[in-house]
Amino acid sequence: MADKSKDVSSIYSPIANMNLRTKTLLTIGLTVFILVAVVITSLFINSADITTNFNAMNQPPSFEHLFGTDWMGRDMFTRTMKGLGLSVQIGAGASILSSIIAIILAFVGSINSKLDSFIAWLVDLFLSVPHILLIILISIGLGGGAFGVTMGVALTHWTSLTRILRAEIKQINTSEFVKLSQRFGKSKIWIAKKHILPLVITQIIVGTILIFPHAIMHEASVTFLGFGLSPHEPAIGVILSESMKYLATGNWWLALFPGLALLIIVLLFDIAGENIKKMLDPTSANE
Amino acid sequence: MDTKYIIGIIAILLIAIIGGAMFLGGGSSVQRADNELVVAAYSHGGEPETGFDPILGWNYYSEPLIQSTLLKVNRNLDYENDLATSWKANDNFTEYTVKLRDDVKFTDNSTLDAEDVAFTFNEAKATGASLDLSSMDNATAVDNTTVKFDLNKKDSTFVDKFAYIGIVPSDSYNNETYGSNPVGSGPFKFVQWDKGQQVILEKNPDYYGKQPEFNKLTILFEQNEAALNAARNKEVDVAAVPMQYANETVDGYNMVLMDTIDVRGLTLPTEPNTGKTTEDGSPMGNNITADKAVREALNYGINRTAIAEGALNGVGVPTSDGVPHLLPWYNKEAQIQDADVDKAKKLLSDAGWKDTDGDGIVEKDGVKASLNVYYPSNAPERQAIAVALGEQAKEFGIEINATGSNWDEMGSHKWTDPIVFGYGSTDPSTIFSKYHSSQIETGNYAMLNDSAVDAHIDKAMGESREASYDDWKAASWDGKTGFSAKGDAPWLWVGEIKYGYFVDDSLDISEDTALIQPHGGDIFGNILDWSRTSSIEESK
Repeated sequence: MADKSKDVSSIYSPIANMNLRTKTLLTIGLTVFILVAVVITSLFINSADITTNFNAMNQPPSFEHLFGTDWMGRDMFTRTMKGLGLSVQIGAGASILSSIIAIILAFVGSINSKLDSFIAWLVDLFLSVPHILLIILISIGLGGGAFGVTMGVALTHWTSLTRILRAEIKQINTSEFVKLSQRFGKSKIWIAKKHILPLVITQIIVGTILIFPHAIMHEASVTFLGFGLSPHEPAIGVILSESMKYLATGNWWLALFPGLALLIIVLLFDIAGENIKKMLDPTSANE
Repeated sequence: MDTKYIIGIIAILLIAIIGGAMFLGGGSSVQRADNELVVAAYSHGGEPETGFDPILGWNYYSEPLIQSTLLKVNRNLDYENDLATSWKANDNFTEYTVKLRDDVKFTDNSTLDAEDVAFTFNEAKATGASLDLSSMDNATAVDNTTVKFDLNKKDSTFVDKFAYIGIVPSDSYNNETYGSNPVGSGPFKFVQWDKGQQVILEKNPDYYGKQPEFNKLTILFEQNEAALNAARNKEVDVAAVPMQYANETVDGYNMVLMDTIDVRGLTLPTEPNTGKTTEDGSPMGNNITADKAVREALNYGINRTAIAEGALNGVGVPTSDGVPHLLPWYNKEAQIQDADVDKAKKLLSDAGWKDTDGDGIVEKDGVKASLNVYYPSNAPERQAIAVALGEQAKEFGIEINATGSNWDEMGSHKWTDPIVFGYGSTDPSTIFSKYHSSQIETGNYAMLNDSAVDAHIDKAMGESREASYDDWKAASWDGKTGFSAKGDAPWLWVGEIKYGYFVDDSLDISEDTALIQPHGGDIFGNILDWSRTSSIEESK
């Protein structure tokens, strides 16, 4: 019986017949599709349209309100989608900014050894301070709001990527072809552009995508703690911290669904990131 | 970037939330005896930061428990003698003389005399941390039982101050240590303050008035959901909860909704922003609300009844001039018929506000009728008001962007943007500080400058309390103008709230004698009448 079903699945299931490359591509396609769908949906939700309805306060999940309603009768499904969209946008802004910072610092570090040790020191400095503290400080310093949170996350998440790039660049700089170009009198910028960048572009893309989950988590944590966004705005952290007040009255759906949704989004980014890494850097697929 | 690490963080977050809720529920259990009280009800302002020092702000608006006051307010909002045996003012209310009882002792066994009363008032004026005593020049002890108060202007509302501030002993008072080790002459004696947790008081056997039925009073500083959970776990006799929990049921407890004179409303700055600032440099004025048509449209267009039923959980009472209906100077004539969207639209279009770009929001001279409304993030009912108002105002073309904030941040917006304030006092002089043109830099954030309103207020300040009621009413609406929505409409008042308490079934808090609570008031006004009608039921 068991053998037969296995045979059937291997013959008829298209997934089982795929090779690793196709599977990887499919996974990337699916995850990216879901993420894009979430962002597009959230863009179509206007915050002002998430209206209160005091006749439908604190309702448990139903077909009308998939995620239930909150203490002002607002539909939690729309709020959660809007919040996820906001999280992904903040995540995108922060990861791209982080990567840009990381690239600049890594290349600046390759100019000479003094700058290099300065950047190593800077990385160590930022890593030694807890992220969440720095994010709170920076976002308050920049006046709060979505901008403050994005900048706070961006200015703290460049460290690990900088480290990786710095190591890569160092390694590439010792290679024969770079030495050869140097002897031919090519400028440092030419070498950076023609020799180094093509070799580290994979790291940059994968690194940027893998900053996403962290950025989103930190955005949620900061807003959960009440920094950055107003308590009526639909951000996942805000929704979760508000839900705490109503767990005491048995409104479990206020925490469960937005929490799960956040978990799924973060996992999707992670899966997408890992698979893109496999595609761009085939050696890692065999690990 | 390990997946497990990320899942771990989220799992911890979720567990923390749910676990946190459970932990709040499973907090320390407090043993209660029938002759002791445990309450989680000093919660409108939370734990007093500066301790139990009336001069620095401890309960200067309500029953101070540890200290006693010259007068006490009663259920009908009249004043009764407490430490005082009699008081009188001169004809133009610039000089007050109070006679004191001679049999009152502080808990450190020293005698309370005129010296202590004068000291308390002078010190409170010098510190300026609690009561507004700006009309007082100084207080002097004439003899052991007579205190004289000299004022710098006519102020018939000065009598209200007698009921507000607990008297401290002048000999041993030290503003640094008194707060954490207070000595007073009230019905309860201070025992111990566990910061962040509770304060323990016990019966003062030497109290000159009626003795409380309870030997010990423990006030837990648990608020909101923590207070609700304390009731759920049967740890407390009384738990004050926000109105969002008013419709909850807790086994063995009664939900008691107390009348208050606590109102919520928004300032609508009446002056345009011309770059002027206050002395401290805060900007002043708002170009949109400076147009009276906008202020009137808001006042007539919104639906206060809907907000009272929705945002205020069905226990709110609509008000359109901010004077609660329980006060003797409530003016029925000043109330308006609201929820009139057509009238609001007409008011706006008559004044030249038109929607030219089709976004549903009106404009005039290129200025969009878009207001930033600030509310303190920690007050859910104010958040609900701001959000609900935004939805209503959109119907007649005014955009309201609700912004959650804190008082430090809102400080610089007080004169420029609408802020959801809470007010309510048995002292009519709050009308003076909110609407008199001389108070623009201090409390008249709407910058109302109306000589007719000023005249009514000035007249009321020079009359006896009873006689002044009509003038306070006239300040709100005198048939021509006033500070109500019918007149200058400098505020958008929304509604009165109620305070909700879960009270243990075994406890009788004597609702008939309960005092009407002002903004930030407490439930202890009639604690001497509280009694235990049956034994406390053990929790299951």
